[in-house]
Amino acid sequence: MSYEITLMTTMAISVLFALSLNFITGFCGQISLGHAAFLGAGAYTSAMLSKADVPFLFTIPAAAICAAMLGAIIGLASLRVRHDFLAITTMGVGFLFVGIIRQQDFFGGEIGIAGIPSSGFGKGGFMLICIALALTFAAFSLYVRRSWMGFVFKSIADNEDVTRVLGIDVSRYKLIAFIIGTGTAGVAGALYAHHFRFVGPDSFGFVESISVLAMVIVGGIGSVWGVIFAAALLSVLPMLVQFIDDYKLLFYSGLLFAMMRFSPDGIAGLCTRLFSSIPRRVPDNGGNNR
Amino acid sequence: MLYLELFIQGLVQGSIYALIALGLTLVYGLLRILHVAHAALFTLGGYIGVIVTNATGSFTLAMVVAMLVVGLAGMLMYKLAYEPLLSQPPYVSLIASIALFIASEEIFRIAFGPYGLSYQTAPLQGHIELFSGFYLKYAEILVMGLSTILMIALAWLSMQTRTGVAWRATVTDPDMARAFGVKIQNVRYLNFFIGSSFAAAAGVLVALLNNLVEPTMGSVASYKALAIIVLGGLGSIRGTLIASLLLGVLESFGTIYIGHLLDRDAIAFAFLILVLMIRPQGLMGGKL
Amino acid sequence: MKKAKIISAVVMSGLLSIATGHASSIKIGFNVPLTGFAAADGKSALNGAELAVEQANAAGGINGDSIVLVVYDDQASPKEAVPIAQKLIEKDEVVAAISGSYSGSTRAAAGIFQEAGVPYIAAYAVHPDITRAGNYVFRTSFVGEVQGRAGAKLMGETLGAKKVSVITLKNDFGKSLAAGLKQAASNYGITIVSEYEYGIKDRQFGPIVSKVKSDKPDAIYATGYFFTAGPLVSQLRAAGITVPIIGQEGYDSQKFIDIAGAAAEGTIITTSLNRDSASIETKNFIREFESKTGNKADMVAASAHTAVKVIVAAMRQSGSMDKAALRNAISATSVVAATGTISFNALGEVRKDVQVQIVKDGNWHEHSVISDSKLLAPPNE
Repeated sequence: MSYEITLMTTMAISVLFALSLNFITGFCGQISLGHAAFLGAGAYTSAMLSKADVPFLFTIPAAAICAAMLGAIIGLASLRVRHDFLAITTMGVGFLFVGIIRQQDFFGGEIGIAGIPSSGFGKGGFMLICIALALTFAAFSLYVRRSWMGFVFKSIADNEDVTRVLGIDVSRYKLIAFIIGTGTAGVAGALYAHHFRFVGPDSFGFVESISVLAMVIVGGIGSVWGVIFAAALLSVLPMLVQFIDDYKLLFYSGLLFAMMRFSPDGIAGLCTRLFSSIPRRVPDNGGNNR
Repeated sequence: MLYLELFIQGLVQGSIYALIALGLTLVYGLLRILHVAHAALFTLGGYIGVIVTNATGSFTLAMVVAMLVVGLAGMLMYKLAYEPLLSQPPYVSLIASIALFIASEEIFRIAFGPYGLSYQTAPLQGHIELFSGFYLKYAEILVMGLSTILMIALAWLSMQTRTGVAWRATVTDPDMARAFGVKIQNVRYLNFFIGSSFAAAAGVLVALLNNLVEPTMGSVASYKALAIIVLGGLGSIRGTLIASLLLGVLESFGTIYIGHLLDRDAIAFAFLILVLMIRPQGLMGGKL
Repeated sequence: MKKAKIISAVVMSGLLSIATGHASSIKIGFNVPLTGFAAADGKSALNGAELAVEQANAAGGINGDSIVLVVYDDQASPKEAVPIAQKLIEKDEVVAAISGSYSGSTRAAAGIFQEAGVPYIAAYAVHPDITRAGNYVFRTSFVGEVQGRAGAKLMGETLGAKKVSVITLKNDFGKSLAAGLKQAASNYGITIVSEYEYGIKDRQFGPIVSKVKSDKPDAIYATGYFFTAGPLVSQLRAAGITVPIIGQEGYDSQKFIDIAGAAAEGTIITTSLNRDSASIETKNFIREFESKTGNKADMVAASAHTAVKVIVAAMRQSGSMDKAALRNAISATSVVAATGTISFNALGEVRKDVQVQIVKDGNWHEHSVISDSKLLAPPNE
């Protein structure tokens, strides 16, 4: 039972993290290859405060604010560059974050911060908190999607220039997307720190950013349910298939590639095609640069 | 003296970056795909170089074989992985490319073992003393020399031959080129062949400099090359070359003098972000 | 090599299936890097541990019950090690566990094992905080600082170096070694003239090599693993630097010599495995390891082998599989293994001699042994 609780907690945290990226990339079309930096910002903030005896629950908003501040800066940068340039810039941000953390002993340097105290709620209690937060944000995402803000986001994702011509303050909305998405990633980070009880620069590198992006894309970019499912599955898949231990990375990447090759609109797309009576938005073809 | 050495090392490293990044920029210019899996071809080149040298004793043969085989592998990669995805949004080919890259690292590890391979008797390990105390390894001279030759060959091909003209036309305006009878498919194959074989050359040279090929040797190259092509201006060959050499030298001095603030990779990206904020299209990029 | 792997995999799964059917098999957890950058060391450590388990089972196991090694790949990453620790404890319910991995992941996992009251032995990870996780955590190899101090004595006294350049791998391994060196340097008349750092992925050391050359030290203390040290040493020699290069157990592998080639000659390291040892334990280990795997023995294999031996000895001693009793038995253990005589102090640290090896004619050989008790005393808390 104890092990199952651990798995559920891991899943909940991954779902929250993936949904936060979905907000930025899926809803608003701003591709981010460095999202793990915000998970890291939240995790480190929470870890350091917790070790300074700040109660766990108070570290969560602190983590969110810290990550969101960083996110706002990146959001501002996203106003300058677009598409592929944005992708690489966000990747650069990810490396920069890790590179700076690595060098400063204040953050534990290369070695990271170990011995993060327990959340104080016990394993079961902590799991419930994580699930609650994940569900709350999922509900929020669904709500936003049907709201005016979601509509603007989609418009920006589809065609930024046209949206601007329509008189909408595109910059403001992009920034909002970034702030909400990264702040939420920060919350996921706080949970992460108290679940794994250890944070280090290697935990938030390029591989993490790609993994969470993969969760969003495999789920179906923009689809809340798809992302929840994909995140839950992909986060615990490595542990479940440990019997193919030596080949697990090969299996994982093979699966990812097959997904892209045969069903690029993700699991959501697969479901749509299977149950094609449910009306659904058609994935954007990204017609700008081709 | 020290500065001269650092500068030359920067150029050597930059030449390697150039050989790798060139393939990446060629693919981007033609297809607008961020070909992360390119680094896998770099690694493959390194492995072939070591294996053939150890088997036959001839480094030259190894270089030629590596470039040919990997060139073909690149074409295969295009056919199997990218062609089916051309009509999809760009992030699809990006993720597919990344998945391919991870898979290839694993395949190398499973096929060749995790220990890495070394030359039995590494060629060109000697050095010459140019002037008092300043040593230059033969291998380093080869790196700079070979990259220059390959770049010149490429320039000649693209400027002075029919194939080259057809190629440039396709990059500029595919529909017009098609109208003139250029076989787009062949241009794409050529593109991948050349880019991949350059990466293979880089792999063989790196194997020579380090006397070690490992399954994960491409990981740094994969994202650094991306940073370089963005820095140079996506799609601009000249920009890529300048950015590669510039970055090589920057890293060389940077690791010594600001190494306590930022690690090596972070230096590259910090510089990139700085440039992009000032000039969003990169150093030599055209209109956005 | 591949055949041996398949055979051992079959044997392992055979043992595992027998074990899961058998209510009374004894499970020892083992986290080790089998993929990723540390895969080479991980494979070697796994081989060493498996050899020890086979030998123990051949000698009758623990009162007839066979020992099973439950192995998970942690990619030498703390992020992977933590869930693995949780899995070993909660799902596989191991009696004890060994880390065949690097300091980062061991450190992260140690806290989990300590909290769960499961004895955990770090085979070769050097970071001091590992044993500080609590009284259930032990280490069969040197703490980084101790090895660093030994290096100071080696350079200052034995080699007579006065000015030393330090090149440090930027991770817990490299940093704790460098810290130990700096602690003891002045006691042996050494001045550290310059310090440089590099990352674990670096293979091109041009700028550092040039700078060190201009520093003109009497000796160079360079920390790293064989895949960084090989290129580093090769590049240092190629630049015309002829002063002694002192390494540590991270270099301890035939691969280092393969990579650096002729440049490896004369490299001196502080480590735990003496290839020329007169000890029967060590000789047997080297011989059996080479016949089992076809590869030459190295420090990580010897250390993993030692860690298993310690647990097995403690199990035989304590007679029960109660984890607290086992912990006490481990703490009181004194066993002769491939890497020396192992016994623990209050912190769970081991006190043993430092082997100094040198590359001669393309192989590792004995150079000297450092036995200074005071110098090598590990921390007590």
